[in-house]
Amino acid sequence: MLRQRKSIFTVMALVLMLAAVLSACSKSGSESSNTSAPSGSSGNSGAKEKITLRMTVWGSPEEVAPYKKAIQRFEDKFPNIKVELQHIAADYDTKLTTMVAGNDVPDIAMMESGTIAFPLAEQGKFYNLQEFLDRDSDISPDTLVPNIIYSLEPGNVIGIGPGPESFGLFYNEDIFKEAGIAPPPSNVADAWTWDEFVETAKKLTVDTNGKTAADPGFDPKKIKQYGVNASTWWGVYSNFIYSNGGDFISADGKSFGLNQPEAVEAIQKISDLMNVYHVSPSPVQSKNIPATNVALQTKKVAMTIDGQWASAGLAQSKFNFNVGVMPVLKEPVTTVVCAMFSIFKSTEHPQEAWELMKALIDPEASIDMITAGTWMPSLKDWYTDPALLAKWTENLDSRPSGYKEAIVDVILTKGHQTPTGYVKNFNNIMDIVNPALDKVWLGQQSAQEAMDSIAAKVQAQIKGRRDIKE
Amino acid sequence: MRKGMFYGLLFTAPAILGFAVFTLGPMIASLVLSLTDYNVFKEQTTFTGLDHYVRLFSGEDELFYKSLGATFYFVVLRVPAVIILSFAIALLLNLNVKGRAIFRTIIYLPSIVPAVASAMIWMWLLNPDLGLINSLLSRLHLPTSGWLYSEESVIPSVVLTTLWGIGSTVIIFLAGLSGIPRQYYEAIEVDGGGWFHRLRHVTIPMVTPTIFFNTIMTIIGSFQVFNEAYILTQGGPNNKSLFYVFYLWRTGFRDADMGYASALAWILFVIILFFTFIVFRTSKSWVYYEGGERS
Amino acid sequence: MRQSKLSLAAGYGALVFISGMFIIPFVWLIRSSLMNLSQIFTMPPEWIPAPFQWSNFQRALTALPFDTFFKNTLIIVVTVLLGTVITSTIGAFGFSRIQWKGRDTVFAILMTSMMLPAAVTMIPSFLGWQALGFYDTLYPLIIPAYFGGGIFNIFLLRQFYLTIPRDFDEAAFVDGASYWQIYTRIIFPLSRSAVIVVALFSFLASWNDFMGPLIYLKSDSLFTLALGLQMFQGSYTAQWDLLMAASATVVLPCVIVFLAGQRYFLEGITLTGLKG
Repeated sequence: MLRQRKSIFTVMALVLMLAAVLSACSKSGSESSNTSAPSGSSGNSGAKEKITLRMTVWGSPEEVAPYKKAIQRFEDKFPNIKVELQHIAADYDTKLTTMVAGNDVPDIAMMESGTIAFPLAEQGKFYNLQEFLDRDSDISPDTLVPNIIYSLEPGNVIGIGPGPESFGLFYNEDIFKEAGIAPPPSNVADAWTWDEFVETAKKLTVDTNGKTAADPGFDPKKIKQYGVNASTWWGVYSNFIYSNGGDFISADGKSFGLNQPEAVEAIQKISDLMNVYHVSPSPVQSKNIPATNVALQTKKVAMTIDGQWASAGLAQSKFNFNVGVMPVLKEPVTTVVCAMFSIFKSTEHPQEAWELMKALIDPEASIDMITAGTWMPSLKDWYTDPALLAKWTENLDSRPSGYKEAIVDVILTKGHQTPTGYVKNFNNIMDIVNPALDKVWLGQQSAQEAMDSIAAKVQAQIKGRRDIKE
Repeated sequence: MRKGMFYGLLFTAPAILGFAVFTLGPMIASLVLSLTDYNVFKEQTTFTGLDHYVRLFSGEDELFYKSLGATFYFVVLRVPAVIILSFAIALLLNLNVKGRAIFRTIIYLPSIVPAVASAMIWMWLLNPDLGLINSLLSRLHLPTSGWLYSEESVIPSVVLTTLWGIGSTVIIFLAGLSGIPRQYYEAIEVDGGGWFHRLRHVTIPMVTPTIFFNTIMTIIGSFQVFNEAYILTQGGPNNKSLFYVFYLWRTGFRDADMGYASALAWILFVIILFFTFIVFRTSKSWVYYEGGERS
Repeated sequence: MRQSKLSLAAGYGALVFISGMFIIPFVWLIRSSLMNLSQIFTMPPEWIPAPFQWSNFQRALTALPFDTFFKNTLIIVVTVLLGTVITSTIGAFGFSRIQWKGRDTVFAILMTSMMLPAAVTMIPSFLGWQALGFYDTLYPLIIPAYFGGGIFNIFLLRQFYLTIPRDFDEAAFVDGASYWQIYTRIIFPLSRSAVIVVALFSFLASWNDFMGPLIYLKSDSLFTLALGLQMFQGSYTAQWDLLMAASATVVLPCVIVFLAGQRYFLEGITLTGLKG
């Protein structure tokens, strides 16, 4: 027994030695630049101290390019600061979690409100940006587009969004022309009621015999063209819940909201599109197959409710698409979804990180993404100042004629914060809600039945709202 | 036999060391973590003893049972399907036909295609209203299905998508078939046996070690199914494809509840260990080693 | 071996059919990589790109430093392949051709390393490598290959070694051969097709490994192709044409390696067939 143990120790010592040797090799190689940098700069202590900010982002190369541009401008302005951009392409949360475990967090990070941003904030890992907002003269909640500031609780801002997104009703203009039907209005004052929307969708749903869903003898099993496509992602259906005066959670944050009449009605209406009127294809996941641009271009569907980011794909597809306002139940509303930038508490340079954050949300830096259609600007003047507005809404493939009224005007005045931003414990609530909703989308249960059946279970997960003081 | 002991340990030393240094530590760490409320984001971790296990077995966590059920269903469907189908394909590829190198490559191709790309094509093929498969079926006046989008068909559909990637199992069978000495076939040919006779009395007995390997690996792999839920279904509809490891991952990484996730992992560990053990135990009666070894 | 014409024809037919099914994702990948975004999802699907958009490859290859990624991938793949083949064949030999007390128990314990979901061992492993000072180096991706090369490979080879008749070693033993000689002269050559399978799997596994590089690497200068490939997945809009072109770029070398491995594979079969 003793000998065995001894041999194990010998082995472990050997491995550790091997490890040490190898690590010495690696240090002299790839990491040399890292270790030598601080010692080099300490020599010329007279100049402003050279500092490095680390930042993590996700996204495709096209989405990361604007950040690189913003960083370039930032480094020109602050020559003593170097920004180290770490592009984590996929499984961002897994990577960030291991970085937290290993005490190797960045100074500033792009975060998603629906995943680990709030769990991290709850453990006090982020700076309260309210302090910076209060002191800073360049930027304040009033200069930002509403609903892009994320707070853990009132007065504790954990993140600010770089590119807000709202929702609209995208459509293929040719389908409407051929059918001789008026397209969706773009001005919110003229928005369709739900019934008008359903009637139009019926006329645009065509079976293989050429009959529409409004005709007698229509065969819902052989549909060639659907009137409308709506993903069953909460981002899409939340628009109608809010429009109908409903919510995921009650105003006082004490009780479940989706089993209340306003929310139930909205959910039922969306389910009816699929299961009663047959004007919408079966539930699709958040990853639309085919993508909105292709579904519209190939006339598989006439209209699609989607985020404004769909403009980017549509712009490349070269056909006559346009966008109108979504149908209105009671009040016109759009959900605003948006990623955020947060500053880690562990940073040694909070003020510099804040300056970097400002540079990142400057629309001038991300203008390529904005004109391509993927994002919208975060600063209000870009919506209200005609010269700035023209920069990203005029003479662009990604911005059809209805865009200004249907998307730009709506997001400023009719926006509603994403539920991930204010419903505490949102993910665990949705873990119970989503399976029940699946039954609704599949037409197996009414919205009321499904939501009532889980109400008690969800109630146990209700932890309050982030936007009210407790 | 002293010599055997010395050389045995010498030859297996890299593997044993590797296990001790790289695997054992993390395994023990996760076992210890399963007895705590470890949350990566929290500064403090407290010892909770068997609380997690008590919660799991008390029936409080419905999703635990649901995910266990979904995973068992998946394993029961998939393991026989993979073994039978890949063995059949390997037999076909072992025929002396022209261009079999090309056929082998083609069968293996889906295993090389990145998961994202093949997931995309499956979502596109299986879309109930807009997908290719249903449109083909309805054109042939055959019943269509909701595939990944309906509660009854989601797990069989996921099994179907994984069958596309059986290339590596097929390749292992091929390697097994290639090890069968010719004279065995020649000997039985003298007896006048037909194709089935040869299969039954030479081929199958001779590849039992390979069947054994593939069965064990398919069981271990199937219990840990994750990607399909992660990419294709997100556990839906109605939690019907909430596979165990997907649920575990969601608990450990999305909700940062790593202590509880570790307890989940160790229960799965015991389950897999149990089934592997059973297969190992029964193998004595059906696995035939030319070397005269008992496994 | 005689095969009746009829059954051969039936087998051929079945092969053509199955291959047809299996090649779809690959064809889909290739044709999508040459299409513009809107043609990719057109329904009914089109199989011939019109026009052929070769610029997808150009854009995909220039958007990221693929040459650096390729170099890193190559370093990892080659060193891992070498380590895996050496230590897994040796290990499998020790677990099958040498009799020693506790052998099967030790083997069974090693088998358990495949049974615990990686999700819970990932963070402890990461912390371990970090403590050794190997965070942001290629070592965590390479070193394990030199310590057994994965129990999967050892188990696979063990199964093959066990089918080799015991008389071979006995005879060699009588002639005064050592275990090492039996391994290098008899067992290793005889199990050639299994070794090639292990080599292929090792190549593909490290070529396609995404999670390892994601966790252990930080600097772009160390990134691998599989990691680079993931960079084409946007969070809101997916650039499917570019993603497919990048995927094709990453996949094609694998296909070539596989086709090359095939030849040896077939050779291996004739060799073992004759000798056995």
